[in-house]
Amino acid sequence: MTLLRRLAVWGPSLWSIPLLLIAWQIAATAPGASRLMPTLGEIWGAFAADIRNGLLIRHATVTLERVFAGYALAVVVGVPLGIAMARSRTFELLFEPVFFVGYPVPKIALFPVFIFIFGIGTPSKIAFVFLECLYPVATAAFFAFRGIDKRLDWAARNMGAGLARRFFTVLLPAAAPGIFSGLRVAMPIAVVVVIITEMIGDSRGLGYYITIASATFRYEKIYAGIMMIGIIGFTIDRALHLLRRRAIHWESLQGVRGT
Amino acid sequence: MSAARNPVADWALRLALPVTLLATWEVSARAGIAPTYLPAPTVIAVAVWGLMVTGELFTHISASLYRGLSGYALGATAGLLVGLSAGLSRWVRGAFEPLVALLYPIPKLAFLPVIILWLGLGHASKIAIVSLSVFFPVFIGSFYAVRSVNRTMLWAARNMGAGPGRSFFQVLLPAALPEIFSALRVGLALSFVVLFAAELLGSQSGLGFLIVLGENSVRFDLMFSGIVTVAFFGFAADRVLLAVRRRLLRGQMIGKEGGLS
Repeated sequence: MTLLRRLAVWGPSLWSIPLLLIAWQIAATAPGASRLMPTLGEIWGAFAADIRNGLLIRHATVTLERVFAGYALAVVVGVPLGIAMARSRTFELLFEPVFFVGYPVPKIALFPVFIFIFGIGTPSKIAFVFLECLYPVATAAFFAFRGIDKRLDWAARNMGAGLARRFFTVLLPAAAPGIFSGLRVAMPIAVVVVIITEMIGDSRGLGYYITIASATFRYEKIYAGIMMIGIIGFTIDRALHLLRRRAIHWESLQGVRGT
Repeated sequence: MSAARNPVADWALRLALPVTLLATWEVSARAGIAPTYLPAPTVIAVAVWGLMVTGELFTHISASLYRGLSGYALGATAGLLVGLSAGLSRWVRGAFEPLVALLYPIPKLAFLPVIILWLGLGHASKIAIVSLSVFFPVFIGSFYAVRSVNRTMLWAARNMGAGPGRSFFQVLLPAALPEIFSALRVGLALSFVVLFAAELLGSQSGLGFLIVLGENSVRFDLMFSGIVTVAFFGFAADRVLLAVRRRLLRGQMIGKEGGLS
């Protein structure tokens, strides 16, 4: 019911997607069409075939494991670090240069060094995802804690709440929307970074799948890989959205921008 | 909160981590404890200087900057124009919003193999991939920036007799500018990542290529020269953008910042 109603609202505004697909198909089937543009049928065929024989699923699993391992590490380290920086001046001064000078530096340039240190397989990817995600996660936690209305904390203290109680029932919930926006920014970064590093050098994962497809001129497979990545990216983004709504149910989604 | 602190002690704390790190690196590299792929910072500095004297570094810098800047300019301009019009017009929004929602979660770098096959290993493929990657965050940022402008301000302007041109340039655009700038900043960071990833993957010049060259020929001082230069330009570009933003938003930063923190 709600799905139907949603379709009725959204349906007419979705016309550009079928239009794009039709244009693609026409361009791909036109005489003298470039081999770089396989038809939709060929792409779907490659996608379905590699789903059925498990190839895409296997590579996607590898990629996802790396994404989540690095991301989880970054959250576990980054959130407490950001909080510590916001609460303690010593911590802030100690890590300020690392975070505020390091933030705009393109860390991808360091990846070759990561390969030397951690090897070509999974560990170097996890370490690199950790580094890339640590920055948005920690800075978001830092600014979220800095932005807490002091009066909330004062009121809690005034009413006799201890440090642990103040932290878990006042400070953390107050900072949660800001922390979550950091988590949301970091998630697509994690996916992109794993795919990029898999393209640079690996023998597993979706990035490798795309590279090998292009090296063997199987263009329909390139698009099948891109499709898989799109599905994963979309699913993760929706999941994070739902998680946020559950975790911060008291906050309207419009009200949290910029905190 | 705390009492006045000693500024010298503050600076000592600030420098503690970087200095310790660099010193440990230097000493362990000199003593031969560090693996060969971590040459001493002073050795790297000498290598950077050597590349600057021969001018080789500048060829790579100019190649990378040319690609990065033109790609960024193209992608950001397109994203800004389409995003602003999508925010203003229901028709443009209808055409682009679903497409962007569909394509946004895909790392655009996944298209790189196809783009390289299409446009070759030179400048064109890098410019294309950078502008494609920059387009999306800038589009989304400027689209939401326009949509979140307080309607009352627009009504007030219209009520006082401002035409569509005037209410756009004097009300809408200035109100949307802070958010547009955050999108431009995200796009800038992304353009650097994508550019160097593209240069690492397939290229015959540029700083990313210099890094790969150093890596493949086991000249780790060259590799780190590339890394240091990339880091420097990434940092400098971000500072330049922030300076531009400060100038353009001079009047309204106070109100906006107050709202943020």
